[in-house]
Amino acid sequence: MEYEEAKKKITEALQKKLKTKSKFYFSDLAKILGEKPRVAKKLINQMVQEGVLEYWSSGSTSMYGMPGTGKQAHAEHED
Amino acid sequence: MAKHETPMLDQLESGPWPSFVSDLKQQAEVRAKNEANIEFQIPRDVVEDLLGVLELSYDHGRTHWKHGGIVGVFGYGGGVIGRYCDQPEQFPGVAHFHTMRVNQPGGKFYKAEYLKQLCDLWDFRGSGITNMHGSTGDIIFLGTTTPQLEEIFYEMTHKLNQDLGGSGSNLRTPADCVGQARCEFACYDTQDLCYDLTMEYQDELHRPAFPYKFKFKFDGCPNCCVASIARSDLSFIGTWRDDIKIDQEAVAAYIGGEIPPNAGAHSGRDWGPFDIQKEVIDNCPTECMWMEDGKLKIDNKECNRCMHCINVMPRALHIGDDRGVTILAGAKAPILDGAQMGSLIVPFMKAEPPYTEIKEKVIEPIWDWWMEEGKNRERLGELMKRQGLQKMLDVLGFEADPRMVQEPRHNPYIFWKEEEVPGGFKRDINEFRKYHQR
Amino acid sequence: MAFISSGYNPDKPMEDRITDIGPRKYDEFYPPVIAKNKGQWLYHEYLRPGVLVHVAKSGDEVYTVRCGGARLMSTTHIREICEIAEKHCDGYLRFTTRNNIEFMVDSKEKVEPLIKDLEGRKFDGGSFKFPIGGTGAGVSNIVHTQGWIHCHTPATDASGPVKAVMDELFTDFQSHRLPAHVRVSLACCLNMCGAVHCSDIAILGYHRKPPMIDHEYLDKMCEIPLAIAACPTAAIRPAKVELPNGKKVNSVAIKEERCMFCGNCYTMCPSLPLADTEGDGIVIMAGGKVSNRISPPKFSKVVVAFIPNEPPRWPKTVEVIKKMIEVYAADARKYERLGEWAERIGWERFFEKCELEFTHHLIDDFRDPAYYTWRQTTQFKF
Repeated sequence: MEYEEAKKKITEALQKKLKTKSKFYFSDLAKILGEKPRVAKKLINQMVQEGVLEYWSSGSTSMYGMPGTGKQAHAEHED
Repeated sequence: MAKHETPMLDQLESGPWPSFVSDLKQQAEVRAKNEANIEFQIPRDVVEDLLGVLELSYDHGRTHWKHGGIVGVFGYGGGVIGRYCDQPEQFPGVAHFHTMRVNQPGGKFYKAEYLKQLCDLWDFRGSGITNMHGSTGDIIFLGTTTPQLEEIFYEMTHKLNQDLGGSGSNLRTPADCVGQARCEFACYDTQDLCYDLTMEYQDELHRPAFPYKFKFKFDGCPNCCVASIARSDLSFIGTWRDDIKIDQEAVAAYIGGEIPPNAGAHSGRDWGPFDIQKEVIDNCPTECMWMEDGKLKIDNKECNRCMHCINVMPRALHIGDDRGVTILAGAKAPILDGAQMGSLIVPFMKAEPPYTEIKEKVIEPIWDWWMEEGKNRERLGELMKRQGLQKMLDVLGFEADPRMVQEPRHNPYIFWKEEEVPGGFKRDINEFRKYHQR
Repeated sequence: MAFISSGYNPDKPMEDRITDIGPRKYDEFYPPVIAKNKGQWLYHEYLRPGVLVHVAKSGDEVYTVRCGGARLMSTTHIREICEIAEKHCDGYLRFTTRNNIEFMVDSKEKVEPLIKDLEGRKFDGGSFKFPIGGTGAGVSNIVHTQGWIHCHTPATDASGPVKAVMDELFTDFQSHRLPAHVRVSLACCLNMCGAVHCSDIAILGYHRKPPMIDHEYLDKMCEIPLAIAACPTAAIRPAKVELPNGKKVNSVAIKEERCMFCGNCYTMCPSLPLADTEGDGIVIMAGGKVSNRISPPKFSKVVVAFIPNEPPRWPKTVEVIKKMIEVYAADARKYERLGEWAERIGWERFFEKCELEFTHHLIDDFRDPAYYTWRQTTQFKF
């Protein structure tokens, strides 16, 4: 999949779900892209690199979201 | 004069064991005096506030920290754990108090010069409080503010040639035992394999794309000093296939009481004279040893390399020369379904650079399987339980081996595959009916 | 406190960025005698508790003096470690997996001055900075987690109970009188960052109350689907709740009997705190091991269901552990680990000898593995 197409798919899908949640597991993103994990990882890494996505971590688990979204970011005054 | 009264913590200053409270207090004082004229980038009284908030926890019997979702530096999905104090007005110095994980060197060997550089950086941009080391193995920097994270990373990579460790759904910082560097039991170079895989899989270590955490640990022998068998998704344990080497003269010296058994580990009590029959031969789990004409004999084919005899007589018995690793998979702490010990998937594999077989035949196929099939927050061991060891062997293309099980299955419910049964599953009912009435 | 830049430019994070360089390479920090003899070691011996010699095929020797350390350590303390290493060991040192510090020298003459120096160093409060020990058939340092000093879900402190227990076990840190080594570990909640599940003795923090729900703020601070997904036992579901002022808000409900008190929901949602003064305390586990020596590795078993937190010195926890070690020391055979001893005499005898009460909490009732812990034989002891 082309990067631009992947980016569009991800941002549209995440935007749509933003009402209920802002953070997603890697596998959720791979599913949105319809790609195998290794291919998805390359695309997602690039989205992080370009600031389209950012990581969120519980310490033990990692998630992805769009920068500045989500309720906890506000609570932590880090947004 | 201390900023906060700490009557409870003060009671942890007495007694012989090193007091972390005394250490924190000395650190608070050093920062207050600041004889080195450091331009502290986080509050100077951070350690005093840390003592204060800890005292409050001792008073309440409850923690005063909150988790934060901040993960790391730009482009990394691990290496930083976000922490916020839930009493920031009372303890402003620790209002933001994030952890950084710094990838430790193999065998945890250090040179003072380098440790002092780390201290300089951490005094300048953090609390100066560390863990040497965290449970996984990293050097832990305990407590800094958000704006300092990138600065610390920049200085660490540019000046100290040093990277962060893992957290979250990453490959976690691999850890090893002292190994061949200073141990005669080590059957492979734990530090080299640990370093090689750490470097090979930097992307997996920094950019989380796994269902959950993944740990490698490297034990040089079955004594398992880094506990790889209990706490790593892939546990590499050194072993050998040939004979234990025996120095009969040294055996005689043990019997004669000239050398203390177990390297002197039992010196604190009079256990009586060393009795090789009782202490070594009768303790052998496979009963593969005996004395003959004053010489120790081992039926090596029957040995399961438990290390007991070698531990008891390290000067007389030495590991074999045809060495490699046994690989076990799926160990984890109890959450959720119960603790799991590593299960054996590779009885023996050579462990020599560039470790291609380990990478391409074991690690990468396992990751591919787990990344595709693993549910969110499912450890490898849980996937193995859910889909079965047979499935894992299938994925790896390994032949079943009785060494992989404790015992064969207890039930006959074998889900035969169609191709395993002659003629397959498709049968002609009419042909059957010729001989069997309805 | 003026901000001093490292050179990093926040507007261009990728400029001059160095990534993926990993740790420093192990062999940069090998003392010369280690570098020279790596892979060529012949045997080792404990000269006294805490002091080892390793002899290489070349005839070279390396003497190691092992010291206990609180893993929570200040840079001031690390600088003192560096000073000692520079004074005696050409600047080299290492740490062990169990948070001990090891100073290595390459000849016997250098050992005594090093020991003397280490033994003479004390904190202002009176405790040793570098107690020598942690080898052989004794108690080594306790590996542990963060506790109240840094963690958001601990059910107990870590450094405090460790200090209290090690003070009590100090003579066994410095001696070789036990039947085999005893590994003690502490994890401050059931998530077990410090994997304590295979230790001779494990101290485990445990919550006993489900989280409270801060209904008024929950929907403002947390994303409800994430809090629900965080629960490993699916005990959390979405709920509409009416606040005392009549306002209806989105929140969650918790099936309390399903809660295993892990705190994972609190990690995702700060409106679900579970820490509680009376609810939280310590579980004691025993009989685990990781070594394959003689018998296979074993999991630790729960032997005390709950001991309240008793800061600052956790006397009941300390007493239970001390008692177990004394009974083990008196009753076990040479080389027998605590778990091997308990299995030989039988767990019913273990409880009797250690004067521990066996309560219903100690019978496993959690999922499949439980069945395998029940007794399926007539072989037991009265």
